[in-house]
Amino acid sequence: MRSGGRPEGTLQGPDASQTRRSRSLRERIGSWFDRNAGNVFLLPTFLIVLLLSIFPFLVSAYLSLSRIRFVRGGFEITFVGLRNYRKLIKGSEKRHFLGVFGDFSLISWLILIVFVALLGYALWRYLRSGHRISAAGVIYRIITFSILSYGMWYLLKTLSSGGRPGTLAVTFIYVFLGIGCQYLLGLGLALLTTQRLVGRRFFRVVFLLPMMITPVGIAYTFRMLTDTDKGPINPIWKLLGLAEVSWVTSPWGARWAIMIGDIWQWTPFMFIVLLAAIEGLPEELFEAAHVDGASRWQIFWNITLPQLVPVSVTVVLIRMIEAFKIVDLPNVLTNGGPGTATESLTLHSFFTWRALDLGGSAAIAYMLLIVSLFVGISYANLLQQRAQR
Amino acid sequence: MKRFIILLLLASAMLGVAFAQFEGVEATIVTFTGPQIAEPLQRRSPDFEALTGAKMNVVTVPFSDLYQQILTDVATNTNSFDGFVFAPQWMVDYIVPGFLEDLTDRVAADSDLLWQDVAPFFRDFSSTFEGQIYTIPLDGDFQMVYYRTDVLEENGLEAPATWDDYINIAGSVDGQDMNGDGEPDFGSCIAKKRNAQSYWMITSVWGAFIQSQGTSQGAFFNTDTMEPLVNNAAFESALDVYLATTEFGPPDELNLDVGDTRGLFTSGRCALSIDWGDIGTLAIDPTTSVVQNKVGAVILPGSTQVLDRDTGELVDCDANTCPFAVNGVNHAPFAAFGGWSGAVNAAADPLVKDAVYAFFSYMNQPAQSNIDVTIGITGFNPYRVSQFENLPLWITAGMSREAALNYLGAIRESLNSPNMVLDLRIPQNQRYQQIVLDTAISQLLAGELTKEEAMQQIYDGWQEITDELGLEDQLSAYRSTLGVQR
Amino acid sequence: MQPIRRLFQSRSLHKPSPGTAIISYILLGIWAFIVLFPLYWLVVTSLKLPIQVIEGPFYLPWIDFDPSTHAWTYIFVDVWNDTVRPYINTIIVAIVSSVLALLFGGSAAYGLTRFTYRPRLAAIFTFLGLLVLSIVAINLGLDWRLALVVAVAVFLLLLQPISKRFQRSLGNNDIAFWLISQRILPPVAVVIPIYVLFQRMGLLDTLTALIVTYMAVNLPIVVWLMRDYFQSIPLELEESAKVDGASPYRVFWSITLPLAVPGMVATFLFVLVFAWNEYLLALFLSTADAQTMPLLVAAQNATRGPQWWYMSVLILIMIIPVIILAIVLERFISRGLLVGAVKG
Repeated sequence: MRSGGRPEGTLQGPDASQTRRSRSLRERIGSWFDRNAGNVFLLPTFLIVLLLSIFPFLVSAYLSLSRIRFVRGGFEITFVGLRNYRKLIKGSEKRHFLGVFGDFSLISWLILIVFVALLGYALWRYLRSGHRISAAGVIYRIITFSILSYGMWYLLKTLSSGGRPGTLAVTFIYVFLGIGCQYLLGLGLALLTTQRLVGRRFFRVVFLLPMMITPVGIAYTFRMLTDTDKGPINPIWKLLGLAEVSWVTSPWGARWAIMIGDIWQWTPFMFIVLLAAIEGLPEELFEAAHVDGASRWQIFWNITLPQLVPVSVTVVLIRMIEAFKIVDLPNVLTNGGPGTATESLTLHSFFTWRALDLGGSAAIAYMLLIVSLFVGISYANLLQQRAQR
Repeated sequence: MKRFIILLLLASAMLGVAFAQFEGVEATIVTFTGPQIAEPLQRRSPDFEALTGAKMNVVTVPFSDLYQQILTDVATNTNSFDGFVFAPQWMVDYIVPGFLEDLTDRVAADSDLLWQDVAPFFRDFSSTFEGQIYTIPLDGDFQMVYYRTDVLEENGLEAPATWDDYINIAGSVDGQDMNGDGEPDFGSCIAKKRNAQSYWMITSVWGAFIQSQGTSQGAFFNTDTMEPLVNNAAFESALDVYLATTEFGPPDELNLDVGDTRGLFTSGRCALSIDWGDIGTLAIDPTTSVVQNKVGAVILPGSTQVLDRDTGELVDCDANTCPFAVNGVNHAPFAAFGGWSGAVNAAADPLVKDAVYAFFSYMNQPAQSNIDVTIGITGFNPYRVSQFENLPLWITAGMSREAALNYLGAIRESLNSPNMVLDLRIPQNQRYQQIVLDTAISQLLAGELTKEEAMQQIYDGWQEITDELGLEDQLSAYRSTLGVQR
Repeated sequence: MQPIRRLFQSRSLHKPSPGTAIISYILLGIWAFIVLFPLYWLVVTSLKLPIQVIEGPFYLPWIDFDPSTHAWTYIFVDVWNDTVRPYINTIIVAIVSSVLALLFGGSAAYGLTRFTYRPRLAAIFTFLGLLVLSIVAINLGLDWRLALVVAVAVFLLLLQPISKRFQRSLGNNDIAFWLISQRILPPVAVVIPIYVLFQRMGLLDTLTALIVTYMAVNLPIVVWLMRDYFQSIPLELEESAKVDGASPYRVFWSITLPLAVPGMVATFLFVLVFAWNEYLLALFLSTADAQTMPLLVAAQNATRGPQWWYMSVLILIMIIPVIILAIVLERFISRGLLVGAVKG
């Protein structure tokens, strides 16, 4: 497991020989603290996170392998092995969790072939890059790419005609489409507000607002807005002759309603980080390019964008981890309906949990953990390391 | 009005003698964040304190998380709450582990409660498990069909007696303008949103097709084998009805919960709706309603054919198959959710338990509850026999005489029905209903499943949970809730 | 063609040409409308009577409908006591937990960028092994205090010899990734264990429980964001201070931190917004005294359906302080992240 940060800082702990002169207790304690400064900085955080997370982690892991039942005098936890997981992957929850597989169309095949070809190209580039190739690296990449191709195959299969995406596929849709839109919008807005325009500070503050509202509040607000009957878009809807049509009762309409809410809420996060990144780019680069007569488009494509890659990678990773847990919007806006069309993994887990099936709920949460950990790690490894080069 | 004030004073005086022993006792009662339900509890607790000296702190939790939070609290022995005001539907999950106090003796010794005045269904089924009383009803919940008297009259239609009538009415008035805004309105509005109230609505429909031999017959499982009654011709008919109503509903009906359908109905946009007693009181409130005195209520429509449990087929109603039929129609009013009730935490101090019980008894007594059930904001619906006889009370509250007679008549007819359908109360009923049933019905409505697939999915899902929790345990719990003796 | 081209020709580097400016304003205006309209709708809804909300869309107060302050009076007068306590709780919890998270997380981030850590794999595995063993032992009936003492003792005894034998270790990046991975598990999965944890400590329904939890939940994000800022601060200043004999703490406190203030302000805002708005953990860790505002908002969805009018008021009064904060801190944010983003 390698994470993505940059190479370590270069300051080493203070030289021990310097600090061994004095004898008094106070100074000795002081020098001990100086020598162990690294640990003093890191340990509090490390211990707080460890203590508050390891217990829930283990308890949920155990719950996911067990079944809870109320009996005379209290409750009883029975160990059932992997049964909760089997139920999701093979048993009665399979159609709910994974979805229903449809028939591959020509387009699905094309997308899959292009995707696999891209992965193959990435592997080829790695092999040709010459430096730092190791057998482990090659095997690791082959395994990762196979799993990614399999994931793509799964997504296409549930999305093709006759298929139906399960909560896993729906979560992927939210994560990838949602983050894609958020990133592009955030980048666009950031570019617009870095121009020397009158009133840009007003726009900057306004654009930050959606992030400030409690997610539950946003969800209810969007429920008001998307109501085709008494919501504000009702007249427009009627004008278009759609009075008899409701978007929240069609699967993709409902998914888009949720993604619009999500995009509305989280574009500001992308926006503010990218804005700051653009503002921070060294002025000289632009001036040189401008003098050379480069067009705005050329400046953006050849100077701004490459400089933004590292920060983009980090911000997308942070958003991805949060987006995998999307729950408030689908819960309030559609309650996962129509059918199971908008149910995310966390919502699936939440529904199960609310009906007191703690084992089943923990199993779903752990599937989510495995999937997002895999996506997060491969993303960090494959993209972030490249971005740092 | 005067009569009631005198009554109130009288009752207070009696209470004062009865309960003066709670000086200094303090208790915490949890319910969901109001104003409904919490409002009357909060409003009346100072009066109760003045009478008995016991201080009741009412704390609230958002409705959707009430069940989980109380259960977590008692199961971990935290016991932050001494009394719960919740749905009796949940009580088995609390009774089996021993979290609820048995109130049988207290009820028997409490003459002020006028227990016999509480409608028989609530006495014998709703508050009872295995013959013991665990909850004190504060609210009467069951579903009815509401209709627009003016719209039906204009079209020369009668209130629906069967589900076929319901569909015919919905179909013939759908698209008419019912609130005078020049826009077409809807024949029927039913809350069909997933994970909201949809599964109670479908149960209201299937009840009449499946249960005909009285409450103890049960409408969910076969009481001998615990086989789910969801994969047969009767259930299919109910699904047909449910699907047919969608054609005459608002376009986004699949995304409406009862809050939305109530809004639509009281703003005059629907001719028919299935709901609890709430529309009756909401419709007379001028701040929420444009249909004052244009609303009629009727017992849930029935069916002329019912399930033969041996063959799984539908058979016509006769004296044997439908002993409780009215004009050849088998009605099965559904006590969905069961009505907010008070229960006492078994782990509380003895004196605190007594005080909490006394408070629930106080809330339940006619002097208090007969006033509360007529106020829309309390969320309390009538559950006492005497509450149907106090016509003036309802007229004071804003109903016209006809509307009050009509509303109370529908409630009385439902409550007196010996064929009332009891909501599912076996352990982990939330998994049966909220997870398996609700998901399958929602998928059926959204077109993800066919009728046959949906029925099979519910059947398999229910069987799986029963197997997981133990067939014998579940069966005996099911029989206990229905009062079936072995 | 020529005049049009000129319209888009920019004369200076940052000053956009008139054509670009017009297009920019149009696009900015569209997005500002998209952002502001839902907020406007909240304001309008808060001024409506229930019947006006239910009957259909009305847009303009005084023109479309007669505004009423009933929802505002209800929240501010009728149930003021139930509103003001959660409001104060939210403010205390959000500010205290964010400041603490910033303090601990900031120093951890500093550590991760300035020192090299080599946690031994062997030590981690020993720790995990002992943890599992002691859980098994507790399940088999061993007293948990005894198990804890024994486990700690064995761990300390084994630590030295094992670390000497097995040299493989992890690095700073692994620690950082481990921290962020603690945010992956959805709150549903952790809420019951955390509830039990605080119940055993007798801290349920206290602000302390919420503060500690939010701090722990926010630490990973603080570490990740602050790492970027510290990395972009030139090392020369710190090195010269060290040559002058300043302790690492003094260097951190009086040289690095002041330089990172803008970044800290930005991070503070992110973290504060999270603690301000969190729902599920607050629901379980508080019953009456420690309730926070998001609970109050969610509670407006009752058996009669959402009470849009009250909900709108609550959402609005909830965002006002954060908006003010955003306006005050906006200049810091852009400059703050600016520093961090130079290297990404």
